[in-house]
Amino acid sequence: MKKWTKIILTLVLVGAVTGGIIVYRIFTKPHRDVTTENAIAIKAQALFEAFKNDEAAANAKYLDKAIEIEGEVLDQSTNQDGQLVVNFKTDDAFFVINCTFKTNPGELKPGTTIRFKGICTGYIPDANVVINEGVLVP
Amino acid sequence: MKKIILLAALAIGFTQLNAQKQFGTRNAKVSFIATNDEDVKAVNNEVASRLSDNGQMSFSLLVKGFKFEYAEMQEKFNNDYAESNKFPRAEFKGNISNIKDINFTKDGSYKAIVKGTLTLHGVTKPLTVNGLITVKAGKVSATGKFPIVMKDFNIDASAVTEKVNADINAVYQ
Repeated sequence: MKKWTKIILTLVLVGAVTGGIIVYRIFTKPHRDVTTENAIAIKAQALFEAFKNDEAAANAKYLDKAIEIEGEVLDQSTNQDGQLVVNFKTDDAFFVINCTFKTNPGELKPGTTIRFKGICTGYIPDANVVINEGVLVP
Repeated sequence: MKKIILLAALAIGFTQLNAQKQFGTRNAKVSFIATNDEDVKAVNNEVASRLSDNGQMSFSLLVKGFKFEYAEMQEKFNNDYAESNKFPRAEFKGNISNIKDINFTKDGSYKAIVKGTLTLHGVTKPLTVNGLITVKAGKVSATGKFPIVMKDFNIDASAVTEKVNADINAVYQ
């Protein structure tokens, strides 16, 4: 075999292996599991105030982080994909902390105080702070 | 007498203002799929939307709320393409231009032409969506589909796709 044929074959092989590894990683990398992460503990009202007072600072502190929130359940509903959603009360009647469960915690009655651990995706002014992919903390 | 008429007119005016009906949800659904690769798709179930019977309509979502089937894609989408730390929100604000054709008190499916602006990745562009408003037993919902061309919003995702199709579904409370 000529020398350059060997080089080309080696390059093709290296390329194929690298490509294979990249594709393998894309399709097998697991999603974040919030239950194994250390969370920032905060009350629903305090989280709302942090975002209302300074969104940029609150984003730096809470965005994409695991949050363990404690608060009073305002209402419970189901989203279009069948996941359970709980809104936590704040002192602003139009503003809640909107929390989506990845595993169904069963019935949560309005007025009860619960703790929920999930990932904070941010703040929508005049509406809510969103935390999703969460679980009930016993 | 004139005063009374004026007062009456004002009173009617106020009741009409108050009579304006608002519909809202915090959990509307927005999904998108790449036009050339159906593995590249994501869904966001935490979209805040408001609709008023005068035709005003708004959608606001958090880019980090898009969930992909594959974690690696989700990470790349947030870090390299949508830059969700820098631009955490996307927003649509608009008006239903044919609001007269829609009766929110009568069951039915109504075609809605929604004209407004879409803000994504820090860029605001005009957008018109042909949607559908459905009224059933007092419940109002809205659906619509539209394409998003990546480069219109300064998103360089050419390694993956030039265009995605977005799908919106809001069930109002």
